[in-house]
Amino acid sequence: MKRLAVPLVLLLAAAVFAAADAAHEKKSSDDRGVMSAIAQAPLKTRDRQNPYEGRLDSIAAGKKLYLEHCAHCHAPDARGRGQAVNLRLPGVQNATAGELVWFLGNGNLRRGMPSWSGLPVQRRWQIVSYLKSLR
Amino acid sequence: MNDGALWTGFRWENRFRPLMKEHWINPLLYVEYENINGADKTMIEVVGFDHEADHAPRNAVLSREHAHEIETKLILSSDAQGWNISENFIAEKNLGHQPWEFGYALAASRPLGLSATAGSCNFCRENIVAGIEMYGGLGSTDSATLSGTSHYLAPILAWHLPNGVTLRVSPSWGLTDTSHRFLLRAGLTYEISGWGQKVRSWFR
Repeated sequence: MKRLAVPLVLLLAAAVFAAADAAHEKKSSDDRGVMSAIAQAPLKTRDRQNPYEGRLDSIAAGKKLYLEHCAHCHAPDARGRGQAVNLRLPGVQNATAGELVWFLGNGNLRRGMPSWSGLPVQRRWQIVSYLKSLR
Repeated sequence: MNDGALWTGFRWENRFRPLMKEHWINPLLYVEYENINGADKTMIEVVGFDHEADHAPRNAVLSREHAHEIETKLILSSDAQGWNISENFIAEKNLGHQPWEFGYALAASRPLGLSATAGSCNFCRENIVAGIEMYGGLGSTDSATLSGTSHYLAPILAWHLPNGVTLRVSPSWGLTDTSHRFLLRAGLTYEISGWGQKVRSWFR
């Protein structure tokens, strides 16, 4: 067993890297998956109002959070890159604030979007404020 | 006692998320391979009948012992009202014909500020997370008992800096006779954003 341990661990790690790489190679231009993922938001969350809506300080805070957590995938200008979606597209901009905050909390792991449920919901609303300001 | 510093081995950590969607309780499977020697006195967690006396011998003696271990954890994590609550169930096996050893860790933590401020800041409340943790051993497959196990209660303080550096400090108080009376755990971590993309770019 001792002799097998290191090769087993290396094999496991190789499988994880291969799976991650295969997921990344999926073409990024297909935004429909993200749109359909956003559309899965439960009805009760769609109409939730952003408590920070229209507040300039919230947009600035959202921008700071966006640059900290989102920009390395979606690009600093939010136009997307690689697999990460362009957040200025109508599919994102036409989503309700409630749908977006739900999506941030749930993510879409199959397409590489992590869940940000660990981020307090107040900060997720602030990110939504910033995204909506890009319209 | 000044016992010097030495290389004690390495750990290979992997985390797997079995459920793709977000739930009230989100399970995470953690698998770690450790190739270390006995002088490794890092108390990342407590399992089995780990106790204070394990750390008493000098490094020169302990470093002769080699341990190849597999450690698995079921991590159950929930986020609610800004709080993160997590329950870890730990099972560790020394591959050298030792029994499985078990442990647990329970923790709750919350940022001091839930919303972010507009400007960049280092010392604002949003960057500081406070919480409390309890952890300890749960015996082994040979003897599944709490008798003779060590348990600790530890406040947690984490300070996230905007550049990706996090400083964690956690003073721990032993709750049983076999525990250390007091431990101070501290850690400095740096998260590399977009690590996968960076590695991929090296091979293009």
